[in-house]
Amino acid sequence: MDQVALTLLNGLSWGMTVFLTAAGLSLVFGILHVLNFAHGGFLMIGAYLSYTIGAQLNADSIWVFLLIALACAVAVGLLGALVERFVFRRLQKVSEAYSLIATYALMILCQGVVKLIWGIDFLSVAPPQELGGAVMFGDFIAPSFILFVIACGVSVFLVMDYFLHRTGIGKRVQSVAIDPLMANWVGINVNAVLIWTVIAGFALAGLAGALLSVNQSLSPDMGSALIIQAFGALIVGGLGNIRGAFIASILLGLITSIGDRLVPDVPGLFFFVALAAILLVRPQGLMRGLR
Amino acid sequence: MKPIDFNKNKGTDLLLGALLLVAFLAVPLWADKGLIFLAGVALVHIVFALSFNTISGLSGMVSFGHAAYFAIGAYSSGLILRNWPEGSIFIAIAAGGIAGGVLAAVIGMVALRRSSGNYFAILTLAFAELLHILIAKSSWFGREDGLTGIQRPLINVPGMGAVNLTDGNNMFYFILALSMLLLCGAWVIWHSQFGRQLAAIRQEPDRAAFLGVNIHQSRLIAFSLSGIGAGFAGAMYAPLAQLLTPEVAHWSFSALPILFCLLGGTAIFWGPVAGVLVFLGLEHSTRNIIGLSEVVIGTTLLFVVLVFPGGIAGGLVRLKQAWFKKPVQDEVPEFFTENGVKS
Repeated sequence: MDQVALTLLNGLSWGMTVFLTAAGLSLVFGILHVLNFAHGGFLMIGAYLSYTIGAQLNADSIWVFLLIALACAVAVGLLGALVERFVFRRLQKVSEAYSLIATYALMILCQGVVKLIWGIDFLSVAPPQELGGAVMFGDFIAPSFILFVIACGVSVFLVMDYFLHRTGIGKRVQSVAIDPLMANWVGINVNAVLIWTVIAGFALAGLAGALLSVNQSLSPDMGSALIIQAFGALIVGGLGNIRGAFIASILLGLITSIGDRLVPDVPGLFFFVALAAILLVRPQGLMRGLR
Repeated sequence: MKPIDFNKNKGTDLLLGALLLVAFLAVPLWADKGLIFLAGVALVHIVFALSFNTISGLSGMVSFGHAAYFAIGAYSSGLILRNWPEGSIFIAIAAGGIAGGVLAAVIGMVALRRSSGNYFAILTLAFAELLHILIAKSSWFGREDGLTGIQRPLINVPGMGAVNLTDGNNMFYFILALSMLLLCGAWVIWHSQFGRQLAAIRQEPDRAAFLGVNIHQSRLIAFSLSGIGAGFAGAMYAPLAQLLTPEVAHWSFSALPILFCLLGGTAIFWGPVAGVLVFLGLEHSTRNIIGLSEVVIGTTLLFVVLVFPGGIAGGLVRLKQAWFKKPVQDEVPEFFTENGVKS
């Protein structure tokens, strides 16, 4: 029984890790229609930034940790503004395949910068004291940092869903995502929406990077490993659909975690089995057409 | 939309091919062992990139799993050469090509019918990553440590006796001859009637279908041919490197031919060749400083995409047109039109 619960918990934590990566990615895809490889790179920069700030402050409290995460979100959001100004804006003129490769080039650039500044060795962030322990449910022990990652994923989803579906700003973002020309005609400042959505997407990358530093080890390959899984979740969920991405992340996480229990020799195999199988049955993703 | 010029440039192409051959033949005259090996790797990547451009530049399909066909070719040839050291290298290389073609045909049969655009890219990626995990975790393929002990058997040339591929630069010349043959093959496909059919499907799929082109079948054949090319590239790589690691099946290896093609230019046959040479040159000259290599390559790619959206070859063609005061006829070649990345 404990084993089953642990498997489910691991699956959820894996799913939320992927969802935190996919959240900003989905936002940027929705508005620019580009699968942004650089998202992984900037997430990694967020994680490394939180490592450096954390090491400077040396404060062992979850509130400080969350504040650092917010600071990383702001910093990476600012980087996002630069990227929007100097790269993404120019990409509107070239075809999508070239945009894809431009974002890939940005990710390579991020990896290079991380290697130059922080080196190639694995680093790990000591989680704040509150997350070091475990929570007891009867006689089942759940590690706190796993619960923390799950809570972060769910909170980010709820906040994003509220913003996108319940506020005026969200409605404007959605209208630009669906039809920029028409949105322009009804008086929405399309350019401002584009810029701020990209900044929000990058800020989410920074936030995710800082939060995920509790369960990921930091290495220059961190971004590229996460981004592929996030692409999978986005595609399975139906591109540009935040609810789809959330459900797909949980589904893929649970399948992967159950698969890893069944076939412990080949970890991660079932993620790609599930990805291929779902795409073959529903080639446009699970939630295509729903918003 | 830039139409591909089919017959006008035959002379230029012959000249460029001869230049490429002479340049590579001259490498052993001045280079050390390491550079000669790198030149061999460049030839393998040229074949890999050209095979990829058959489906992307010519047919407009975005595959993100091309490493799978390279890897299955490499591992087939590697396993044959390792377990049958006195066998024929030609059989090993043919086996690699066939393995790549069969895998591409199977994956293409499933994936092409079901999906397109981004979804096709991610579906091919998923299949390739499955192969990567299987290779990395099975002892038969040497797991993460890689497959070692790949032999280079003797070749019996009539009139010359046995040629030992481990001697001198024989392996390099062997790879050079094979890759030039494969390059000719890619040129013939690119310029054949079938190639025009693929270009037509890329530009106007509906019109091509009305004119009687069996779109699905043509795409499947192109995809399989491309798999054969990638399989051959892998099969040549195995005896050249004599060590195979699961890295060759990783998705970042699938990204390589995409980078080569877009850096060099996809609308022109020689684009991917230029891409390989520039990319490997950059990588080699910055290899000693950790991190700098990525910064230089990333910046160069970004610069090319933002400033020369037709790649190096596209940029050169525009320069030539500007030089001879010809009016620039077309916009930048349109790439992946109908099932492009936009959904």
